[in-house]
Amino acid sequence: MLASPVSLALTALLAPGAVALLLAVATPLRNRKSAIVLSVLAALSSLVAAILLVKGQLTPTPPQLLTVPWLLQGGVPFAEIGLRIDGISASMLLVVTFVASCVQIFSVGYMHDESPPAQGRYFTYHSLFLTAMNILVLAPNLLQLFLGWELVGVTSYLLIGYYYRKPSAAKAAVKAFWVTKFADMGLLIGLLVLRSKTGSFDWDATITPQAANLVTLLLFVAVMGKSAQFPLHIWLPDAMEGPTPVSALLHAATMVAAGVFLIVRGWPLFELAHSTRAFMLGLGSVTALLAATMALFQNDIKKVLAYSTCSQLGYMIAALGAGSLLGGFFHLTTHAFFKALLFLGAGSVIHAVHSNDLRDMGGLARKMPVTTLTFVIGALSLAGLPGLAGFFSKDLILEAVGEHGFSLWLVLLLVSAFLTAFYMGRLLLRVFFAPATEKSSHAHESGGFLLLPLGLLAVPALATGYFGGMFGQLYGTAYHFHLGNIGILAAGLGVLGLLLSYVLYRHRAEHPALLAPLGRLIEHGPMDRLYEGGFHRVALPFAALVGWIDRYLVDGVMNLTGLAFIVSGQKIRRIQTGIATDYVLATVGGVLALLLYGVMR
Amino acid sequence: MTEHILSLIVAAPFVAALILLFLPPKQLGLIRFTAAIGAFVSLVLSLYVAFLYNSQAGGLQLAEVYPLVPSLGIELRLAVDGWGVSLLILTGVIIFAGVLASTSLADRAKEFFVLLLVLVAGVFGVFVSQDLFVFFLFYEIAVLPMYLLIGIWGSSHKVTEAGPLRFVWKWFDIGGREYAAMKLTLMLLVGSAFILVGLLALYFSAGAGTFDMAVLAKAHYPRSLQLWAFVLFWLGFGSLAGVFPFHTWSPDGHASAPTAVSMLHAGVLMKLGAFGVMRIGMMMLPDGARFWAPVVGAVAVVNVVYGALSALSQKDLKYIIAYSSVSHMGVVMLGAATLTQSGWNGAIYQMFAHGIMTGLFFALVGHIYERAHSREVAKMGGFATVMPGVAAFFTLAGLSSLGLPGTAGFVAEFLVFAGAWQSPQAWWSLFGVLGAFVTAVYVLRVSRAVFFGEGPSPHFHDLRDARRVEWAPLWILGGTLLLCGIWPRLLLDFIDPATSSYLRLVVAVAGGQP
Repeated sequence: MLASPVSLALTALLAPGAVALLLAVATPLRNRKSAIVLSVLAALSSLVAAILLVKGQLTPTPPQLLTVPWLLQGGVPFAEIGLRIDGISASMLLVVTFVASCVQIFSVGYMHDESPPAQGRYFTYHSLFLTAMNILVLAPNLLQLFLGWELVGVTSYLLIGYYYRKPSAAKAAVKAFWVTKFADMGLLIGLLVLRSKTGSFDWDATITPQAANLVTLLLFVAVMGKSAQFPLHIWLPDAMEGPTPVSALLHAATMVAAGVFLIVRGWPLFELAHSTRAFMLGLGSVTALLAATMALFQNDIKKVLAYSTCSQLGYMIAALGAGSLLGGFFHLTTHAFFKALLFLGAGSVIHAVHSNDLRDMGGLARKMPVTTLTFVIGALSLAGLPGLAGFFSKDLILEAVGEHGFSLWLVLLLVSAFLTAFYMGRLLLRVFFAPATEKSSHAHESGGFLLLPLGLLAVPALATGYFGGMFGQLYGTAYHFHLGNIGILAAGLGVLGLLLSYVLYRHRAEHPALLAPLGRLIEHGPMDRLYEGGFHRVALPFAALVGWIDRYLVDGVMNLTGLAFIVSGQKIRRIQTGIATDYVLATVGGVLALLLYGVMR
Repeated sequence: MTEHILSLIVAAPFVAALILLFLPPKQLGLIRFTAAIGAFVSLVLSLYVAFLYNSQAGGLQLAEVYPLVPSLGIELRLAVDGWGVSLLILTGVIIFAGVLASTSLADRAKEFFVLLLVLVAGVFGVFVSQDLFVFFLFYEIAVLPMYLLIGIWGSSHKVTEAGPLRFVWKWFDIGGREYAAMKLTLMLLVGSAFILVGLLALYFSAGAGTFDMAVLAKAHYPRSLQLWAFVLFWLGFGSLAGVFPFHTWSPDGHASAPTAVSMLHAGVLMKLGAFGVMRIGMMMLPDGARFWAPVVGAVAVVNVVYGALSALSQKDLKYIIAYSSVSHMGVVMLGAATLTQSGWNGAIYQMFAHGIMTGLFFALVGHIYERAHSREVAKMGGFATVMPGVAAFFTLAGLSSLGLPGTAGFVAEFLVFAGAWQSPQAWWSLFGVLGAFVTAVYVLRVSRAVFFGEGPSPHFHDLRDARRVEWAPLWILGGTLLLCGIWPRLLLDFIDPATSSYLRLVVAVAGGQP
């Protein structure tokens, strides 16, 4: 192999980076088709570099590090940036660049009707996102990971707000940024603590378990924001206001999984932090269940998938909490493929039906055979049907959680597995197999740019499960598949969920009477109302109070001081009467007073 | 030329101002062109100083000494250190961008640019003076033209306040430019009086018969003097740095000032205050600095959070940006109060970052105000449709403001918070981080309100994006923000050695090594 790993990683990083910069600066390039061509080419070169990198990592090699001092402190490096190439970063890079390439190609067709400048803006954001994500993935330490982390957050903000004229999109963009930024305070403070405890921003520095617990807990707060864990999940469903390919790439496959990736990278710290991991296991399981429940009651196809993403991220967090590095990462990978596939499939459907609403769809199986086939593959993979990718990774998680015996968390995750199949069954039925509606009757299959990525993603959504051994090798842990009781149980629950949804939703869209009250509760979005109430009723009035204090009290004192000088000046001015006798009188009085003072002394 | 580079950089704006005086007032094009050339020469010279300065060697370089008043030991003693280099570049960038952003100014343009350039000469003078008396002289030259600049070219903005206290607004004429100019000048002059007293105290207590700052810094002052003199410098210089509660001139002043003046004042002049606190207060009076550091830091934390919350409560676009300066200058003072290597690096870095960022903000707000004829956020909306470029740069400035990695703001805040974490008062960082979050809240809120949503209402018929030369300041400032955010060592290589040598004067053991 001619290209060294470092130059490959740099290619993956700099190709989209250069394009993002070029498009940002050169308006004429951005406003034409050249933006699309450059952006897609950059993504593809990153992908090629990533493939070659992974190929190199299949033979055991020590991690390669390349760092340069970025910040100084008294002449010595305070923080460094650079690259770290090992099995974990290479395989994540492959996932990211593959999905990004698919999504960008899909976008060429999907965004075709937008004006050229708007398309240019869109693809510039995409290149920027890929750069930021690669900065994150290739980070040699937690500081650079944080840099990439924040940058993907901004591109997420920009892409959710892509339709900025739409008030709901603008609101969702700001909300996403606020929630994740709020959580990121934990990461920033965690970095400071880590630095003061270990003297570096490395994740493999020596640290006491107690300090590791503190640091990882702080880091995990940020993970809860980015990876949409309860109760900070509220931004993710709203983020569906962005264009659908964006939802596929950022808000399903890669960016939201960055939280999981952070834990995988910081594993030396998290491994020591038993309390944090216990918390992760609990919160991940709860999120998995809650989000799966919410997914059931959505009528917007993208929101079903969004809540499903929350739920699946919960699985990954739970796996890591239970101590299974491979479980978390493997599910991240398979999920990236099948969820990106599902979102792009949803995009294809939305493109055809011109609606997000499940109630407008139906009967698309005949009109859109390719979309249907690939979507079914993705859905069954997500539902954990044995043999598909999702089954293997989910099984790994459930085995890990169940390793220490029967627990509440295992039950929650098993119920979620059932619910996952149940809501995906409902989705499949309503979109593809229910009777056609007025809107869906005019739908027809999408064009090549949309179908090609669907096909490309369907392959790994089917087959990644069989490459567990390879992934295990890349992460440095052994992987052996064996079908245990839990696996059989989970598969059974999945099939049961699909069957039940067939029974319940085959003929009607409404929920059965038993479930309706729960649906009404979820419709109201109690968490959302809590946060919005807190902002409008507490935070804003408090800020207004501070503003009032500044204007009337703090500044009031200043103004009164000024006023006091003016008023006293006006009073004292009276002394200057302009009458000579007054002045003589004052002079005589003064002299007398001085004399008296002298005599008294 | 090389050996007189520092006198040259101070003289250049003066000379440009002098040339302007002899130009016919009707020749607007010629006046603008001359002012722009003068500003450009200043920028080039500041970059040339950075080029000449050997950052490896550190310390004071490019020294020049000319006797002024030998009987009192006053000398024109010029030299520059790594801090000075960074702040000279800041000044050069801001004045050039500021002049380019005032190309639409037509009323008494000649006098405007003369005052602006004189002010900049004063700022350059402060950053290169090593004689305390001359330092103070330049400081006043920099501060005083502001009265005229706001009083004559400023804008009055009568906010219709509701509530029982609205009579206060009418009474004091709050929002009026005369009020703002007077308030700013008076508050800063009271500060100057404090400084003058402290300065004389140093001179006489040292008894060396010189104002040479290097000599004064080595003298040993009695602890009692250090304790009260430090407060004089802290409050005196601090009033210009917007230290709570002496910050109230800033929102009114910056809101009323014309665009270039806001850019220069918030961008550069406020830094003189913080620079004075560090360079004079802390370095001359180490006992005072160590004693008062917990108070300075606590007040700085108030600045950060209080300023951000105040910004959140404002309804006027310019006031929001002005209050953000109060908050961000708190970060500078916080870094200074940590008395750590990172904290001080961060303080200087934040001076630079905030200067560029707020300069960009005011340039953008000036553009919006000029086209919208309104500053009321509630009336705006959907501006991105007609001014996408302005929206993009506003987003960039906002992201730097909230400390996003990749922009200069992140580097500065991160260094300051890291420094605070190493200081005895680690809790300061928590509030700093919180302040950055509140910044994210108000910045994105205002950006959404102004730029997002349905296209602008027909009421705003005059809106358009930046054009031709109007792009220049935006690109210069925005580019600088990104450049210094992506590769911070462009500045840190200058700042860090200077900090090392100065910090040694204040804390016995070079602090902040963990």
